[in-house]
Amino acid sequence: MSKYEVGRRRLIPRWPVRTSSLFHRVRVPGTKRSLLRFEGRYNPKTLQRELILRDKKPLFWMVGLFALAAIPIAVGQQLVFSIFGSICFFAAINVLWTLIIGTAGLQSYASLATVGVGAYAATYLSITYGIPWPIMLIAGTLFGALMGFIISVPARRLDGLYYALLTIGISEFLRSYITQSESLGGQFNGALFGADRIVSEEAMQTSSGQTISYLVSFFVLLISLAIFRLVSGGRIGILLRTAQSSKEDESFAAAIGIDFQRARLFVFLISSAALGFVGAFYATNQGGASLSLFSLDQMLLLLAMIVIGGLGKAEGAVVGTVIVVFLNQWFTSWGPWRIVLVGFLMLASVLYTRNGLFGLRQQLIEIRERRKALSRATRTTRYGAFLPEQGPEISDKGVIAEREFERAIRDQLRDWITPEIIEEHRLSPLGQHSDHLERILNYFRKQPISNKYVVYCESAFQAYRVVALSGIPGVPPRLVDDKTYSNLDEAYHAVFLRRINDLKSQH
Amino acid sequence: MIELIASGLVLASMYGLVAVGISLTWSSVGMLNLAQGFVFTFGGYVAFLFAQYMAKNFSIRDGVLLSLGVVLLGMIGSAIAGLIVGGLAFLPLHDRVNFPVRGLIATLAISIMGTQIFMLIFGPQSKPLPQIFGIKRLKIGEFSIAYGQVGTIVVATVVLLIVTLWMRRSRRGLQMRAMMMNPLGANMVGVSVRTTGMIALAISGALAGLASVLLGQIFFVSPTSGVQPLIVGLIISLAGGLGSMPGTVLAAVLLGFAEAVTARYTEQSFVPFVQFALVIAILTFKPRGLGGVLEDVRE
Repeated sequence: MSKYEVGRRRLIPRWPVRTSSLFHRVRVPGTKRSLLRFEGRYNPKTLQRELILRDKKPLFWMVGLFALAAIPIAVGQQLVFSIFGSICFFAAINVLWTLIIGTAGLQSYASLATVGVGAYAATYLSITYGIPWPIMLIAGTLFGALMGFIISVPARRLDGLYYALLTIGISEFLRSYITQSESLGGQFNGALFGADRIVSEEAMQTSSGQTISYLVSFFVLLISLAIFRLVSGGRIGILLRTAQSSKEDESFAAAIGIDFQRARLFVFLISSAALGFVGAFYATNQGGASLSLFSLDQMLLLLAMIVIGGLGKAEGAVVGTVIVVFLNQWFTSWGPWRIVLVGFLMLASVLYTRNGLFGLRQQLIEIRERRKALSRATRTTRYGAFLPEQGPEISDKGVIAEREFERAIRDQLRDWITPEIIEEHRLSPLGQHSDHLERILNYFRKQPISNKYVVYCESAFQAYRVVALSGIPGVPPRLVDDKTYSNLDEAYHAVFLRRINDLKSQH
Repeated sequence: MIELIASGLVLASMYGLVAVGISLTWSSVGMLNLAQGFVFTFGGYVAFLFAQYMAKNFSIRDGVLLSLGVVLLGMIGSAIAGLIVGGLAFLPLHDRVNFPVRGLIATLAISIMGTQIFMLIFGPQSKPLPQIFGIKRLKIGEFSIAYGQVGTIVVATVVLLIVTLWMRRSRRGLQMRAMMMNPLGANMVGVSVRTTGMIALAISGALAGLASVLLGQIFFVSPTSGVQPLIVGLIISLAGGLGSMPGTVLAAVLLGFAEAVTARYTEQSFVPFVQFALVIAILTFKPRGLGGVLEDVRE
């Protein structure tokens, strides 16, 4: 054991294993994936066999989701159940919305409206035709898909922010339609209640009823996460990532044969259907639908959740939702200030981070890299030597020691180069030398062969020239200048001067 | 008939003022200003505070001077709000990566905070503004139109004309049009992106403030009164082609009349659908809107 624990490598989870299972992988049946990304290897230091967990994300997911499921059941209060219920509901919407904005790259702000359509359709059908809740869920899914189809039509022709505007308009128009429509709760300020419930109203008063209701919400969140994983992590996700960030990328994707428009609409339809399902679930859980599903403020809160967590990532959507919903529903005594705080968080994350909370790590790494490069560039005096911050990048520490040693030697030799030494070499290039000159010449002799200066005999005893070896077999040496020397000693000295020059310029 | 035309034009001028502001901001700054609702409400509250102050301290409740003051202060207040939005969302972000989307989110954040801060200061109740054009009615033959309607139409038209002229004739207007056509090129020949952008935000704010004061005659001012004009303004500037003043005005007139006709001959609940169908129809045939000047310029 070392005395000082430096670096973060020791924090990577690892397990010692027997030989037989070192390279064994457990795959999910029917796929080539494994749940946890283990890497079998021999520890370079101890030479023990070990398994290293290269991706800790699934562990965090498991712990986080378990906490999300267990905390309200352990606490068992109605307020906590309702807060966590909203967290699950909004997180499910946000994850699916992330699929639309992030994976498909469509700036649609009508996701909450799709949920609303699912909820109102399911409630209306349940009230009018008395259908039970399983059929309500199916109906909600179908209406969500229908809504998705309708709003995906203009997506083919409009791009970017134009489409964003249009979708904001759609949700606002739907809201005002519901306010004024007679059959959809125009008389109760938009609220429509009386649908079939999964957990009946009497059962909701008991603790077990609340638990069941909460677990159902949690299950809906799991479903939406599964959809996200399947779509975004699957083939279609890869296709879409090719065409994601810019117009050039789109052209590139089209050129290599990816029909990204079709892929986008496909993802859009899937997420819309799922959003409709979430809406129908809302109706079966709450016993109806209310106008807040269409309000601009609610949409903005959802957007704030996604932006604070980090756009385009499922974990960003979930964690952002937890933060905002908690602020919004736990600190109700703060009044409007809590929404101001949410807005402030949203503004700060847009102004100071590139991609919310979960983009922060990458951003910090980049800042550190930039600082490193800057300090490397300013420290010219130690050129060629080892810099402390390069330590983690060089795995063979012997290389570092060797570089340090070479640098020390060069510093020493440079001090010894004086006019007297040069004069001594000029007088007798081969002859008996003083200690310092002999050491300098020894240093030159052991330099690597590439770019080494040597004497080239053009014609014996008449013309000699200085050339530099290429160091590559079959590649001839190159001439370094057009001077010719009449005898060998002059040529030796010319080579010596060149090497001295290089040593001086090399720090 | 005249009443129908009058109400259509009133709606058109309100929508036009907000939509031209949004369109102007988008085309010269490259940012969709979704805090225009906040700007709108800000101007309304400034005008309200002014009217309240005058009524309390000088007992002035109507008159030409008060009307002028209300309109001017509404416009100035909204212009200041526009500058606040610019300072929070445009100046820090305009040279960063992914500015359009981040700017949009920043303005949304401002609009969230703005609504709640108004709620904190003024409470959720609506505040009335003084009737700046009086309450009499103008008689033409057997029809009569309220002075308010006539005044709204006239003032909106005049102000829009002034802005159009200013855009075409003045040096600043030239700079702004240069920014619209090619931001990089404008920057190369010495047009300051920051100054021009802030001026564009202030002007679009002033237009929204005027609309706010004019609309305040009918609907009063409340923390959420900016939402509806914002949405309709966005839709109109979209249908008019972001960046085109004539296209935006044309779209405002079309949608205003569509609303007036629908509300008169059918139910009020059909209005959104008719407007929406109209916009979809326009965008299906002209995806860049009626004006359609900015073909791919911003990419």
